[in-house]
Amino acid sequence: MDDRNRPLDTICPGFSETIIITNVNYLIWVVLSMVTELVLTAAFPLQSGLVPRGTRAFVFERIFEVFLLLGTLVGVVVVGYMLYNAYKYRSGSGKGHVDEGNRLVLGELPSGSGGGRKLFTSFFMSMVIVVSLVSWTYLTLLYVEEGPADDESLDVEVEGYQFGWRFTYPNGHTTDGVLRVPADRPVQLTITTADVFHNFGVTELRVKSDAIPGQETETWFTADEPGTYTAQCYELCGAGHSYMSAEVIVMPPDEYEAWYANATAENATADNATANESSADASVAAQSNLRPAVVP
Amino acid sequence: MTDASPERDAAVDGGHEVAHGDDHGHDFPGTGSIKRWFVTTNHKDVGVLYVVTSLFFLVLGGVLAWLMRVQLLAPRALGEGILSPVAYNQAVSAHGLLMVFWFLSPFAFGFANYVVPLQLGAKDLAFPRLNALSYWLYLFSGILFGVSFFQGGTFSGGWTMYAPLSVPTFTPDVGASTAVLALVLFVASVTVSSVNFLTTMHRMRAEGLTLRNLPLFSWTILLTAWMMLFAFAALLAALLVLSSDRLLGTTYFAMESPAGALLWTHLFWFFGHPEVYIVFFPALGVMAEVFQTFTGRRIVGRKWFILAMVLVAIQSFAVWMHHMFLTSINLQVKTLFMITTIGISLPFDLMVFALIYTMLKGKIRFTTPFLFVFGALLLFIIGGITGVFLGAVVLDYEFRGTYWVVAHFHYVMVGGVTALVGGLYYWFPKMTGRMYDEFLGKLHFAVYFVGFNLLYFPLFVAWETPRRVFDYAPELAPWHQLATVGGFVLGLSFLIMFYNLFKSAFAGDPAPDNPWEYATTAEWAVSSPPPLENFDGTPTYRNGRLEFLDIGEVTPSEGRASGPTGAAVSDGGVTASATATVSSALSTAEATEVEGPSHASIWPFVLSAGAFLVLLGLSPLQDAAFPEGMVGAAYATTTVAGGVVTLGSLVAMGLEPFHGPVFEEGEAWPFAGIDNGKVGMWIFLASDVVLFGGFIGAYVFTRVAFGWTGWEPIPPDPIPGLVNTYILLTSSFTVVLALVAAEKRHKWGVVTSLGATFVLGIGFLVNKGLEWQHLFHEGLWLSTNVRASTFFLTTGLHAAHVIAGLVVALYLTARAWRGAYLEDSRSVEYFGLYWHFVDIVWLFLFPLFYIL
Ligand code: HEM
Ligand SMILES: [Cu+2]
Ligand SMILES: [Cu+2]
Repeated sequence: MDDRNRPLDTICPGFSETIIITNVNYLIWVVLSMVTELVLTAAFPLQSGLVPRGTRAFVFERIFEVFLLLGTLVGVVVVGYMLYNAYKYRSGSGKGHVDEGNRLVLGELPSGSGGGRKLFTSFFMSMVIVVSLVSWTYLTLLYVEEGPADDESLDVEVEGYQFGWRFTYPNGHTTDGVLRVPADRPVQLTITTADVFHNFGVTELRVKSDAIPGQETETWFTADEPGTYTAQCYELCGAGHSYMSAEVIVMPPDEYEAWYANATAENATADNATANESSADASVAAQSNLRPAVVP
Repeated sequence: MTDASPERDAAVDGGHEVAHGDDHGHDFPGTGSIKRWFVTTNHKDVGVLYVVTSLFFLVLGGVLAWLMRVQLLAPRALGEGILSPVAYNQAVSAHGLLMVFWFLSPFAFGFANYVVPLQLGAKDLAFPRLNALSYWLYLFSGILFGVSFFQGGTFSGGWTMYAPLSVPTFTPDVGASTAVLALVLFVASVTVSSVNFLTTMHRMRAEGLTLRNLPLFSWTILLTAWMMLFAFAALLAALLVLSSDRLLGTTYFAMESPAGALLWTHLFWFFGHPEVYIVFFPALGVMAEVFQTFTGRRIVGRKWFILAMVLVAIQSFAVWMHHMFLTSINLQVKTLFMITTIGISLPFDLMVFALIYTMLKGKIRFTTPFLFVFGALLLFIIGGITGVFLGAVVLDYEFRGTYWVVAHFHYVMVGGVTALVGGLYYWFPKMTGRMYDEFLGKLHFAVYFVGFNLLYFPLFVAWETPRRVFDYAPELAPWHQLATVGGFVLGLSFLIMFYNLFKSAFAGDPAPDNPWEYATTAEWAVSSPPPLENFDGTPTYRNGRLEFLDIGEVTPSEGRASGPTGAAVSDGGVTASATATVSSALSTAEATEVEGPSHASIWPFVLSAGAFLVLLGLSPLQDAAFPEGMVGAAYATTTVAGGVVTLGSLVAMGLEPFHGPVFEEGEAWPFAGIDNGKVGMWIFLASDVVLFGGFIGAYVFTRVAFGWTGWEPIPPDPIPGLVNTYILLTSSFTVVLALVAAEKRHKWGVVTSLGATFVLGIGFLVNKGLEWQHLFHEGLWLSTNVRASTFFLTTGLHAAHVIAGLVVALYLTARAWRGAYLEDSRSVEYFGLYWHFVDIVWLFLFPLFYIL
């Protein structure tokens, strides 16, 4: 394998490399500014300001999109750069620049090649991207953590058990397997469990929280589309874990009010019947030989 | 096995030219003999054993993965599919545990065993018998895990083992307990191994090979071993508490326990996050070595690369709560852990760029090893980018518990596997002396890489699928079907590898010493495979590059040469007494005769088999009782038999004359001039500190959750504890006296002081026994409440340490009686270190449990 240096490299060692380096760093800058622009203009037409606020689903979607976009771009640039150079410097291409005075020898003490500058430039840029992205999402985190104001939200207590979910409304009304909420109104959930560790999540509404024995966790969501959604358990909790779901029915506010006025602590059974019919999975699980719930 | 020193003659002759290949002595059989593989303590043999065994577990874990992938072909209603719900949960859990513990790390440590001593210029690890012991403990822990499938079903609570699903109330199968005990045995193996590697790597580097000059693969192993030492000690604490909850009926993790579930998440993830780097670092080391060799360039920014890894290794212990963003931790803590998490991801950017820039201006040869590490880097980049998503807390809130996480960690971990497979091809010629088939290797890579992405990439798209679930939204089914196809392609690609390597191992072209142009590390400077004791002369880097000195050239420095090894290693906990005795056994090998190093001992194997039987026998315990009837009796008998085998092999090991590698101290920072045995003891005690730290942390955490002041101390009466404090302090003093007497060569002084220590220790135990007896009479038992649980278990763990110490003290006294330790008092000194440590622990436990 002899060294066939191109004349250019002989005249100016590292010349082609300089161009490449500038290129990859340049590319990353282009990506960065493009994205900043996108973030500022396209991504948030509905919102004033940089930080997405709105329903959980909305803020998640905005941030996810930006991450996907940026992640893909960075991935494509870095991987593309890697593949390009792997091809370019393949042995036999003649581009290789192994100078004989400095070739690797068996038994030498390890040392490094130079190139710290470009290494740090790239490192610095990746740091800028990551840190700025995450700090940006942090502002949204603050918003999410703050939660809705107490007086406007509907408070529901959620209790997981092997293998289902119980919901208790402010008036003491309890349902099993079905959560009814009004559209466009924040719902504040207080979540716990009667037995093992579970995790309550409604993926379409982008809300999720652990259900921990002896502890309460809080989370919230606002649903803007009436309809039926599925809540599922996101922490392995035993044989019925795959089927540990509940229905989340988002109702137009007036319908909800009518339903709620009728719902009292006593007439819980009516709704539970519907629940069991509608969530066939849960009832199958209940009848089957899945291990019985320890706390009924 | 009394005379296990085949090289004695050669050594006495003054030539330390040792036999190559198979022709050494009659006691040490050749590689073709089955017996060799049971007795060998040679690091290269052990390395081969690790690699082969781990690949076996890869197949096992892979078959479980296939079963799951078949189940996931379509959303399954109850009763559909090939696995029942419980079977699916078992498959998920066993797959995760097998792949992470029994495949990935041991695979990497197979290479570490083989290559690191060569790269250091050492003839073997510091404690060869302990190295064999690590291997056999590992193998038997895997077998124990295998047995768990047949005891009503293995553990089904996920590899994260979240409480309280992990306690018998919810997972009552005996097999679940067995799986937990198998993990305990595995941790014992890891701890012994970490102590051994750390001692070796710090103490036995060739002259001129300072830490800065260590090859990158060795660097990654060094950092991995440090992380393992501490992280696995934390895991051991968690597992011992869990075992006790399962077998003895303590209530740390019970549903009713205040914050038991949270306690587990803290303990587990304190281990779990460093574990991520523990499995990944060796892969990074392989990448760095293979990149340099096949690009023909030294790595760019080497010092920064090392610095980045050191930072990651340290910081890995400060990010664990990012796995708990959805628990009740508050915003401040979340913010802190978000910052540390982002912080720890940045050094990886630097490492990735360093590898990429190393290719520039190189002459890249796309051999099989390079293809695999190159592919691994691509996969790691994707894994890393998708990991940043998880670092953004708002996104993590939604990704938690979904296939996003599953896809991400498979990209990272199986990406690591990809690099290690590259390592397997890279070192295969060295390990077998034969070349693999390059075409089949490349074919393997092509199929593997396609299969991998077909398997895992669709999972990002189907990310809304909840994890560990086989009933998912029907519209996601096509993605899962793609993944299943990919799973089979990936799995079958390994058939190509097995065929290739198996055939080549017997019929491949003979490999030269160095088949790779531009390789620089020392393993390529010796024959393939290397001779039994690695080098024909003493390796040195004193002139800036590897040279071998003849025996005569070595500067004699009597005081520094460490002949027989003294190791004092125990892993605490269940096997504490077992390994503590090993310590004395090792440190008391006769040092009087001049003998060459030994390479064979059957006792590590026997000892591990004994430990296996003990744990198997204990597995059906509940509330500290065996089940009724024949089955219970059979288990109890197994325990006793195992105990006898274990103790017997410990004594045998202690009496067996065994000589560790002779070496001339070269670079030994920061332990220059300190005996290997002492360094080993210190390192082991450091891990024991973390073990007790875990227990004390668990106690404090539980008590805080309970309400610190509302917690009435058990026991109510502090007097027995106070008396015990005095007893232990006195016994520390007598150990010091014993050492002084030994140094003054005063035989009876040694005997009486050691005897006094023993008697004081017994006094401590008797006093404690009476105290416990009293508490039992008052109706307090381990399972009474969590206050009782913490008291009995924590002080019980301490008592187990005392008992282990007493076994050693008894052994030392008996030998002192026969005149030992007057020439060489190191055994007494190491025992003293251990004993003082146990006393100091008590000084913490006493106020915590009796006074506050
Ligand atoms: C070779 C290295 C591998 C490692 C280290 C690894 C590791 C893991 C771990 C730690 C889990 C989590 C287990 C749990 O949730 O308790 C897991 C889950 C899983 N793995 Fe692997 N795995 C490997 C290979 C594979 C392969 C080859 C396949 C497919 C053929 C596969 C398919 C799966 C599936 C389907 C799950 C279940 C995901 C879930 O529902 O949470 N894995 N793996
Ligand atoms: Cu669940
Ligand atoms: Cu982590």
